[in-house]
Amino acid sequence: MLQRSFSRIRWKSLAQPWHEVDWLLMVATIALVIIGGLAIRSTEIGLDLNDWEMHATTALVGLGLALAIARWRYDPLVHWYWIIYGLTNAVLLLVLLIGVEANGAQRWLLIGSFNVQPSDLAKLGVIVTLAGILHRRTAKTVPVILQAVAITIPPMLLIMKQPDLGTALVFMAITIGMLYWGNANLGWLVLLGSPLVSTILFVVYLPIWFAWSALMMVVGWRTIAWRWHGAVGAGVINLLSGGLGKFLWNFLAPYQQDRIILFVNPDKDPLGGGYHLIQSRIAIGAGGMFGQGLAQGSQTQLNFIPEQHTDFIFTVIGEEMGFIGCMVVVFLFWLVCLRLLIIAQNARDNFGSLIAFGVLSMIVFQVLVNIGMTIGLAPVTGIALPWISYGRSSLLTNFIAIGLVESIYNFRHRLKF
Amino acid sequence: MRRAIAPRRLVRQRPIRFRLLLVWGVLAFGILGLAVNLFRLQILEAPTLQARALAQQTRYVAPRLPRRPILDSRGDVLAIDQPVYTLYAHPTLFKQPAQAIAPQVAPIIKQQPQAVYQALNSAESGIELAYSVSEDAADRLRALQIDGLELIEREQRLYPQQDLLAQIVGYVNADRQPQAGVEFSQRQALERPMRERGRYLNQRGNGALLPNNVPRTFFQQDNLSLKLTVDSALQRIVRDALRKSMQQFNAKRGAVVVMDVHSGAIRSLISEPSYDPNQYFLHDPEQMRNWPVADTMEPGSTFKPINVAIALESGAVSATDSFNDDGQIMVGPWPIENSDYSYAGARGVQSVTEIVQHSSNVGMVRMMQRLTAQDYYTWLEKIGLGQTSGIDLPFESPSYIKSQDQFLNDPVEAATTAFGQGFTINAMQLVQLHSAIANGGYLVTPHLVDGLYDATGDRYWQPSRPEQQRIFSADTTQAVLSMMEAAVEDGTGTSAQIDGYRIAGKTGTAQKASDQGGYLDNARITSFVSLFPSDSPRYAILVVVDEPQGADAYGSTVAAPVSRVVMEVLAATDGISPTLPLSDSGSEANADAEASETF
Repeated sequence: MLQRSFSRIRWKSLAQPWHEVDWLLMVATIALVIIGGLAIRSTEIGLDLNDWEMHATTALVGLGLALAIARWRYDPLVHWYWIIYGLTNAVLLLVLLIGVEANGAQRWLLIGSFNVQPSDLAKLGVIVTLAGILHRRTAKTVPVILQAVAITIPPMLLIMKQPDLGTALVFMAITIGMLYWGNANLGWLVLLGSPLVSTILFVVYLPIWFAWSALMMVVGWRTIAWRWHGAVGAGVINLLSGGLGKFLWNFLAPYQQDRIILFVNPDKDPLGGGYHLIQSRIAIGAGGMFGQGLAQGSQTQLNFIPEQHTDFIFTVIGEEMGFIGCMVVVFLFWLVCLRLLIIAQNARDNFGSLIAFGVLSMIVFQVLVNIGMTIGLAPVTGIALPWISYGRSSLLTNFIAIGLVESIYNFRHRLKF
Repeated sequence: MRRAIAPRRLVRQRPIRFRLLLVWGVLAFGILGLAVNLFRLQILEAPTLQARALAQQTRYVAPRLPRRPILDSRGDVLAIDQPVYTLYAHPTLFKQPAQAIAPQVAPIIKQQPQAVYQALNSAESGIELAYSVSEDAADRLRALQIDGLELIEREQRLYPQQDLLAQIVGYVNADRQPQAGVEFSQRQALERPMRERGRYLNQRGNGALLPNNVPRTFFQQDNLSLKLTVDSALQRIVRDALRKSMQQFNAKRGAVVVMDVHSGAIRSLISEPSYDPNQYFLHDPEQMRNWPVADTMEPGSTFKPINVAIALESGAVSATDSFNDDGQIMVGPWPIENSDYSYAGARGVQSVTEIVQHSSNVGMVRMMQRLTAQDYYTWLEKIGLGQTSGIDLPFESPSYIKSQDQFLNDPVEAATTAFGQGFTINAMQLVQLHSAIANGGYLVTPHLVDGLYDATGDRYWQPSRPEQQRIFSADTTQAVLSMMEAAVEDGTGTSAQIDGYRIAGKTGTAQKASDQGGYLDNARITSFVSLFPSDSPRYAILVVVDEPQGADAYGSTVAAPVSRVVMEVLAATDGISPTLPLSDSGSEANADAEASETF
C-alpha cells in the first residue's frame, strides 16, 4: 500500500515536466520513424548495409533531445534569435569554405567522423529568427515584410550556392508561411510569390501567363492602397518576369534545367534524368492496394531506384506497403500537421505561435514536395521526407523542431512565476 | 527581458477565422491531392505499372551453348567457338568529351583516332565502332572505364588452321549457320543439345542478371569435341607438295585424297584452291568448292585397274590371258587408239599386266569386250557407279554412267568405259574403288568423322556406317595389285617409286571434255593413284591436278611425284618399314623416273 502510493507519486512527479506535452504528436512522429526504419532496412537487405540501425539510434537521440527541450521553456530563445541567426549564417559560410563535397555539392561539415548538414539546422535558425522579428510587430506593413524577406535571403543564398535548391525552396515556404501567420496581407504574399509563378508559366504555356498576370493586376488593385500603382506595378512585374524567366533560367545549373524539363515530360530521357520519375512511379504503382510485402518489393530489391533510402524512400512504402501503407503515412503526416496547427493556435504568445507555424510550414512543404515528386506531381528536388528518409542531420532537426513545439504546447497555460 | 514577449495572440485577431480556414484548406487540399493521386497510381494504374515493372525486372535468357570444337586426329583444334565483342558507343552517356575518348579507344580497336572521333560524332547513341573485338581487347576497353561504351558479347567460330582444312571443316556464317564441310554435315553432332529452355531471370536496375532461379544445369555444357580422322600435319606437307607441283605446271586446281583402305578413314583431303573460313565472305564461291567430292570427272586411265578387276572377277578373263594390241581399233564408226600410238605404234600381243603397265587403251577395249555389255553394266552398277561414295561431307555429286539402254545399244559406250572415259566419277569414289583393290575387295565408306570424344579422350559417340560390301575376291585384287605394282616398277608410274618400298600405282592423263561436246586439246586432267605399301596395303592415295600447262604435263610428271612425297611422309609417320633391299643409288632411280614420260 505504502509502496504503491509511493511509486505512484514518484512516477507522477517524474513525468511532471512533460505533463502538458502533446503525446499524439509525439506518437505520430515515432510511428513515422518506425515506418522509415523498416523502409530503409528493406532497401539495404543483401547489400551488407544497415543504415536503419543508424536511423533508429539517431531517432532515439533525437527523441531524447525533443523530450529535454520540451521540458524547458522556449521563450528565453526570444533573446537569442539574433545570435542564432548569426551562428546560422556563420556555419553556412563555413560549409562553403571547408565543407565536404559529395555528388557535386558542398553541403556537409565533417565533425569527428560525422557528416553534419548545417542547412537542416539552418531551417530552425531561420524559423526562430523570423518568429523573433514577427512576434512584436505583425507583418501588416511593408517594412516588416521586407525585413522578414531580407532576413531569409542571406542563408537562402548561402544554401543555393552549395548548391541545394531544394532546401532553399523550404526557406521560401517557411518565410511565406510565417508571414501569412504573422498577419501579412494574403494578396501581398501572392504578389510576392507571383513573379516566380509567371516565370514558370511563361515557359509552360503563354496564355496562362497572360491570365496570371491579369489576375495579379486584380490582386494588386484590391490589396494595395494606391490602387493604380498596385495594379500596374503587379502587371508589369509579372509580364517582365516572364522575360526575366529566360534570363533566370540560364542561372540554373544544367541538371536543374533538365529536372524541370523532365518533370514536364519524363519520357524525353527515360534512361537519364527522367529515369527517377518513371521508376518511382512504377514502383509505387506496382505496390497496388496492399503492397508486395516488406522486403518483397521487386523494384526496390532489384535496385531500380537510385537514392532510395533517402529522398525516394516513399517509393519503398508505396511498393512494399501498398496504398494502405501510403495512406497510413499520409494520415500520420496529416495528424502531425493538425497537431502543429492546433499548437500554433493555442500558443501562449505570438513567438511560440509563429515558431509552431514555421515548423508546420516546413513539414507541410517537405511532405507535399517529396511525396509529390515520387508520384510525378513535382519536379525532382533534393528534399527529404521528414522522419522517414535516412539522414541524421535532418532527423535530428525534425526532432528538435518537435521538441520546441512540444515546449510551446507544454507551457501554453502556465504563468511564469 | 520579459517585455520582449508580446502576450497578444495573433489567433485572437479578427481575420483569424479566415486565416485558419485557409490554412486548413491548404492542408486538406494537399493531403487530398496526394491521396487522390496515390489512389490513381496504386489502384487504377496498378495493373499497367505492375506489368511495366515485371517487364523491366525480368529478361528472357536462353542458354547459349557454343558449338563443339572440331579436332584433327592428333587433337589439334580445327574449329572452336570463342567469345568476341561488338563495341558500341553511346555519346549521350559520355562523361568525357569525344576528343578525349577517341585517342584512348582507337589503338585498342586498331583504328585511327580521327576516324573514331568522326564516328563518335555521327549519332547520339548506338554507334558500332568495331564488330569483332577480341577478348583481350575487350578487357583493355573495360579497364578504361569510360561511360557510354558498351561491349556486346557473342560467340564466334574460329578456324586456327585457316585455309589448310577449309574444304573439310567448312564454316559457319555470321548467323552461325553451318554452310559447308563437316560443320554442315555434322551439325547435329556439333550443336550441343539444349537441356534447358530459356527462362525469365530477374535483372537489377543496372541490367545485372540475378541467378536466383537458375538451375545448375543451365550453364552446364558437355566437354565433347568432334574428332576427325585427318591429320593436319600430314595435310600441311601434302598441301605444300601439291601446291609446288601446281605452281610448276601452272595448274588450275589440285586435289589429294589419302585414305586408310581398311576403314575408309581419310587421313588427308586437299582441295586447292582453298579459302580462309574465318573470312569466308571474302572468297569466290567457286574457290570454296570442295571439288574432289562435289565435282565429277572422267577418270581415264586410273580406272583401268578397276576394269581389270571386274574382268577377272567376272571370270571372263584370267590373269594369264593375253590380248592383241594393234594400237588402234574401230568400234562402230569410232576409232580408238592408244595415246602413244603416234610413236609406239602397235604393241602386239600383250598380257593383262602389260596392258596395265603401258596403259593400253586398245588392250583394255579388247579385254572388256570379253564381257557382254549387260554383264559389264551390271558390274558397273554393283561397284557403285551412279551413286556416291557416301562420305560424310555435304554436297557430294554422284557418279554418272549412261543409261542401260544407251550402254547396251551402242558398243562404243562399253569401249570408252573400258579405258575410263564416257562416264564421270568424283575423286573420292575413285579412291574408294581403289581401296577395294588394296583391302582384298571390300567397298569401305570414306569418312572424315572419327566421333565425339570427351576431354579425357574417351569416345562418346561414333557415327554408324554401312557394312562393308565385298565386290572383289582376294585372288582378283591380289592379281590387280601385282599389275599395278608392275606399272610403278616398270611402266607409267615409275616416278612414284620410293627406294625399298613396294608400291602399286596407276597414272591417268585425260583430255577434258568441253561443254560443246568432244574434247579440249590443251585442257587435260592428270592423276595418279597409288596403293601403299603394296605388299600389305594400308593407304590409297589419289592425286589429281586439273589443267596443268606444258607439253610434259602428264600423270607421271605432275601427279606421281606428289604421291611419292605423300607416301614418304606416311612411311615415316606410320613407321612402315621398307621390304625391298635398298638399291645402291636412290637418286639415280628418281632421275630415271623423272625422265620417263609415259602414260
